[in-house]
Amino acid sequence: MITANLLTKRYGATKAVDNLTFEVPPGVVTGFLGPNGSGKSTTMRMIMGLDVPDSGSALIEGRPYSELPWPLREVGGLLDAKAFHPARTARSHLRWLALTNDIPLRRVDEVLDQVGLSSVANRRAGKFSLGMSQRLGIAATLLGDPGVLLFDEPINGLDPEGIRWVRHFLRGLAAEGRTVFVSSHLISEMSLTADRLVVIGRGRLIAETSVTDFVARTGRGAVKLLTPDVAVFTSALTAAGAKVGDGDGGALVVEGLTAPQIGDLAVRDGLRVHELMPITASLEDAFMELTHNEVEFRPPTMAGAVAAGAKE
Amino acid sequence: MTQAIQTAPLGRYRVKNVVRSEVAKIATLPSTAITLGLTVVASLLVTGLVSNAALHHAAPYYDGFDPTQQSLTGLIVAALTGGVFGALLITGEYSSGTIRSSLAATPRRPILLTAKLGVAAAATVVFCELLSFVSFFLGQAILSGGGAPSASLGSPGAFRAVTMTGLFIALFALMAFGFGLIFRSTAAAIAAFVGVVFVLPLVMRGISQPDLRYVPTNILTNSIMATVNQGPGGVVHPLSPAIGLLLMAIYAAIVLVAGVGLFVKRDA
Repeated sequence: MITANLLTKRYGATKAVDNLTFEVPPGVVTGFLGPNGSGKSTTMRMIMGLDVPDSGSALIEGRPYSELPWPLREVGGLLDAKAFHPARTARSHLRWLALTNDIPLRRVDEVLDQVGLSSVANRRAGKFSLGMSQRLGIAATLLGDPGVLLFDEPINGLDPEGIRWVRHFLRGLAAEGRTVFVSSHLISEMSLTADRLVVIGRGRLIAETSVTDFVARTGRGAVKLLTPDVAVFTSALTAAGAKVGDGDGGALVVEGLTAPQIGDLAVRDGLRVHELMPITASLEDAFMELTHNEVEFRPPTMAGAVAAGAKE
Repeated sequence: MTQAIQTAPLGRYRVKNVVRSEVAKIATLPSTAITLGLTVVASLLVTGLVSNAALHHAAPYYDGFDPTQQSLTGLIVAALTGGVFGALLITGEYSSGTIRSSLAATPRRPILLTAKLGVAAAATVVFCELLSFVSFFLGQAILSGGGAPSASLGSPGAFRAVTMTGLFIALFALMAFGFGLIFRSTAAAIAAFVGVVFVLPLVMRGISQPDLRYVPTNILTNSIMATVNQGPGGVVHPLSPAIGLLLMAIYAAIVLVAGVGLFVKRDA
């Protein structure tokens, strides 16, 4: 369990993290979502004791990181894919780490094996690709077999196979009962990996909820309807109190009635239904809606960009 | 919670755990072998050349000749390369990002630093002492082989000069380690070290007539390495070896204390 309580960090006049309070429970993957520059890394660094909060606290199982008796046996943190000396081999990097926390040295080969780096264990880590570096970083988090794991953007720079591997890996760790906290700015990835979400923007908490609730909360509750009987259906739906709009490919977008209600209405009036589907907002839609005002540096909108281009 | 693969030992991590890890770190860095190897080669080369240059002179040349000092001259080079070694011990961690792994593994900074500094000090003292003795024996072998006056460890002041020279060079390395803590960048730390130790005295001499007895490199050559009282009447008498060594220890401590203070407080 990780608990952040009114966590605040300023850099000069900017509040990088602003009164952030949330919990990361064990047994599920908790995604830490926010645009770039929203304070995710700073928050993780404070949890790991690398940065000192200006006020508030971040606790691991009720204790600040610096007071953990054997930190690597309780917390595994991957905050930076390249937190090793490029001239050391993968094995020597893990060996010195193991020695700090009195971890048996056989663990070094075990975790190298777990992340698939056994064959390059004696190669200088500086020669590793970004994907291999991420794996070495993940191996380091596993050394002490900790109950709490933090990963900051672990899939950055990974190929599709690597991303899949990390996703299964994180879910596996959570399934073993561990606390797994993983940050990302990639919403689609979080929808596949995480069960719960902590969403922040400009250092402030926007939402702390399950992925399904998060999507449902911001969903529009509309239903897509494909029918050859457009005119009759439209008047029947309007008569039933629904709002009918045009969707893609000749489909109707119905708001105000649920899919079962529309189906029942079709049977009653003998109308043909070719396709009937509730439109759920994607996690991305939900995220955009909630963080709309929280993005620090927003690119110009597409329309704005086109207009600017046309002037040239 | 899952069954842990291994149960944690009692207590908490201590300096001894971090010392083991720091020893492993030094031993697995190629820059250790490179900087120390370079130090050995360069120092002994200079000692060899300087000792050889002292051969085959007419008798007056050897008035007040100090064979011990002559044979330790090469260690001045070690003051520079040893400084690079000392700075790299800490700046290498910052430039590579290893420092964040170190602090995640052992977040209590005073403990991490005690171990790091202890290992750095032990390694440099042992290395510099060995180098000092080897340089002495090499120089004396050349001098006596060429028929010039030579010394043995039993000669007055010789043993003191050799052991203190080793310590003195180690203090240079530790001072550079302190600059590494302050600046966190290899280039800045080495620039500061070279600037303060080698360049500042030159600048000072250009501005006024300072008492150069207090300059580290002068203390090294005139107070620490020397066994024969320097200078005929009229020349300022150098500091005594003990005072000279103490002064250098204070210089190094000032830099180290500043570095330690910053390291303990600062965000990583």
